[in-house]
Amino acid sequence: MVFYIARCAGQFAVALVGIVTVAFFLMRAIPGDPALYMLGDFATPEALATLRARLGLDLPVWQQYGIFLARALQGDLGMSVVTGEPALAEILASVPSSASLAVAGMAIAIAVGVPLGVIAAVRQGSVVDVAVMLIALLGISFPVFWVGITAILLLSHALGLFPALGATSEPGFWKGLHHLALPALVLGLSVAAYIARLTRSAMLEVLGQDHIRVARAMGVPEWRIVWKLALRNALVPVLAVIGVTFAWSLGNAILVEAVFSRPGLGSTILKAVLARDYQLLQAGVLVLAAAVVLLNTVLDLLYGAIDPRLRQQ
Amino acid sequence: MNDMRKLPAFNRREVLAGATGITLGAAFGAPVMAQGSRTLRVRFGSDISQLDPARIFQNENQSIASHIYNGLVQYDQRTNAIVPDLATSYEVSADGTVWTFKLRPNVTWHKNYGAFTSDDVKFSFERVLDPATGSLYRGQLAGLKEIQTPDPLTVRLVLDSANSGFLHKLCAFNQGWIVSRRAVTEIGERYSMNPIGTGPFMFDRWTAGSEVRLVANPSYFGGASTLTDVIFRIVRDETAAAIALENGELDIFYALQSPDVIDRLRRAQNITLLDRPANNTANLVLNTTMGPLRDVRVRRAMAHALNRKALIDGFFRGTKFEANSVLTSTFQELSEEGVPRYAYDPDRARALLREANVSNFRFEITTVGLNPFDRFPVPLANDLQQVGIQATVRVLERGAYVQARSSGNVQSCITAVVGPPDPDSPLVTLYHTRSHPPGLNTSRYDSADALLAEAARAPDLPGRKAVYNRLLRQTMDDLPVIPLYADRLFLAHGPTVQGFVQNSLFTVNVSPVSLRGA
Repeated sequence: MVFYIARCAGQFAVALVGIVTVAFFLMRAIPGDPALYMLGDFATPEALATLRARLGLDLPVWQQYGIFLARALQGDLGMSVVTGEPALAEILASVPSSASLAVAGMAIAIAVGVPLGVIAAVRQGSVVDVAVMLIALLGISFPVFWVGITAILLLSHALGLFPALGATSEPGFWKGLHHLALPALVLGLSVAAYIARLTRSAMLEVLGQDHIRVARAMGVPEWRIVWKLALRNALVPVLAVIGVTFAWSLGNAILVEAVFSRPGLGSTILKAVLARDYQLLQAGVLVLAAAVVLLNTVLDLLYGAIDPRLRQQ
Repeated sequence: MNDMRKLPAFNRREVLAGATGITLGAAFGAPVMAQGSRTLRVRFGSDISQLDPARIFQNENQSIASHIYNGLVQYDQRTNAIVPDLATSYEVSADGTVWTFKLRPNVTWHKNYGAFTSDDVKFSFERVLDPATGSLYRGQLAGLKEIQTPDPLTVRLVLDSANSGFLHKLCAFNQGWIVSRRAVTEIGERYSMNPIGTGPFMFDRWTAGSEVRLVANPSYFGGASTLTDVIFRIVRDETAAAIALENGELDIFYALQSPDVIDRLRRAQNITLLDRPANNTANLVLNTTMGPLRDVRVRRAMAHALNRKALIDGFFRGTKFEANSVLTSTFQELSEEGVPRYAYDPDRARALLREANVSNFRFEITTVGLNPFDRFPVPLANDLQQVGIQATVRVLERGAYVQARSSGNVQSCITAVVGPPDPDSPLVTLYHTRSHPPGLNTSRYDSADALLAEAARAPDLPGRKAVYNRLLRQTMDDLPVIPLYADRLFLAHGPTVQGFVQNSLFTVNVSPVSLRGA
């Protein structure tokens, strides 16, 4: 067990350093310069030189990398080039917003997507199946910002059910949930479409297998066959997709965040890229990478819980 | 100029103070808690990044700073006339080089940083002038030789030569905002997001990507605001912001640009839509050192080829104004008499190109990938193709765009100089040799320095106006820069907002606002 944890931690560290290193050099390979960004329209050669020296941009890139790595090992990810505030603090501040959106969105996606997929599989070829798959196709095809604006127009403006702004600074759990509902619904339904399609195809495959036929022959009730025996096996690929999508929505729900005016990890990283705020970007990539790697480790353990064959390996 | 030396006694702060007096009576009658908070919610399109006047740029930052800081003088939001702020009066020596300001007594810095004195003024300007600060605005105070503080309420600015436009540089904006010596020194590195001023609102907190909160300064010298706090809420999508305004989730919609959303809010009930000419134009800057662009006839041919009216009426659906020079109607110094104009005339453009013996001319417009700058050059390129110029548009993401432009190695680029109603702001930035790349004089124009210096030496406003007129005539004749349209600022507010004044800067200032029924 100790060996297992040590191996996990080692992989974790290697993945993080690798990702951050790639981000570090990629960022410096693209055109653009934080000093120029900050000086804006009034850049003079002299002001540029002063600022570049202050930001350490006049050093060779490998030297900047060395300094960055040495400081990062001590837990210091530096100050945002633009605001002068600690970069890690700004990134961490955007995590709760991203995480709550991802969790709520995923909960809706699973609650809607899995049952729909199962029903469509059981009633394969029926009107229900065609209807569910058509809706799923539409859900996948419509861009999320369009669905978002439509949801705001319909559910917020016309019906007055939810606020148009998907976040609030006012305290209170229920108030926060009320603001979160609409963005979570939009994110959740777009993911639900994928999950429904995937559940359906996985279920179809499992329902055709021998052990299901045997169970039917032995007179096991149909609801038990579908919801217990078959679904459990069908969930393995679905779980993989849920894991990937969850990680994706942590960092890439930028469009949902933009439409619903929510802060978030993805939006903060995007802002850092646009401003060439190297420190902020590095902190953002590090946090996002840590979250994704951690999530994958948890998922690996979950597979084992669902599928005993994987546990033995 | 003489009439300006005695600063007018009446200004908007006193109007504000009067209004405050009435509401304060009510406020004292009942505990503040029972009244509830009077929070004003303003939409921002993007996040803030820094609030240090020496390095500040971008409209959102400047909007926040305008609530926190004061200048010696300020632009009246309505008229752009220069009126008192921290200074109550000033005198100029006969030779125009010594400016003495009397400061307002009993002004205190936010959050117990002590009394405001002439030493803070000295510190603020010297800080901008110090190369180590890396201020963007060092050039603005270039002629300032010495700052004397004979007593705590008097400050004397000594210039190396007379400059009748100097008051513009001291207005409450960018380098004109006064900071506290003690606060800047004590807060140090993190001052940028922990600003201390003397203004009507104090900085409370910034939640990255989400909002900025300011609270009213109860001891503001102009009288405390009737609002308890202001929340600047970042709502990136304009349609979502419009709905939030209609729902009453927001009070003021700042940075309204999309013609669709402007239409929607114009039709909405209970929404007031405001608009005002801005201080800036959007321009096509031509590099006068590259290929056929060296020939003035080619530059004029381009101006005739561009159907700028169609751009404004079609693409922008009438939400911009025509521009005949890089100054707009908001500048007190503007006079367009005798300034050459270039009507849409493709035949004339073709004739000029033939005359200049130009064929197979490949021309590239470099622009930034931000709405609308990434899209409106496309119809312009099409106009140029109609007269035989092989025009293309290169859209770059902002960081790459800034780098390409400041390298100076572009044939042309789209540039808008957003700034105060000081004619030097666009004119020096676009035409002076000191703004050659990495500055914004990407055309590398070099014939304006003498006239700009002459305008500074002119004794009074009419004199300066005459010199600026000559400069506009010359630059529109030489045409290193083709003005495309004059910007127009739109803003909307809900039914409870009272007393709001829209300025011609690209900023929003809610200091005089009160809320009805709150």
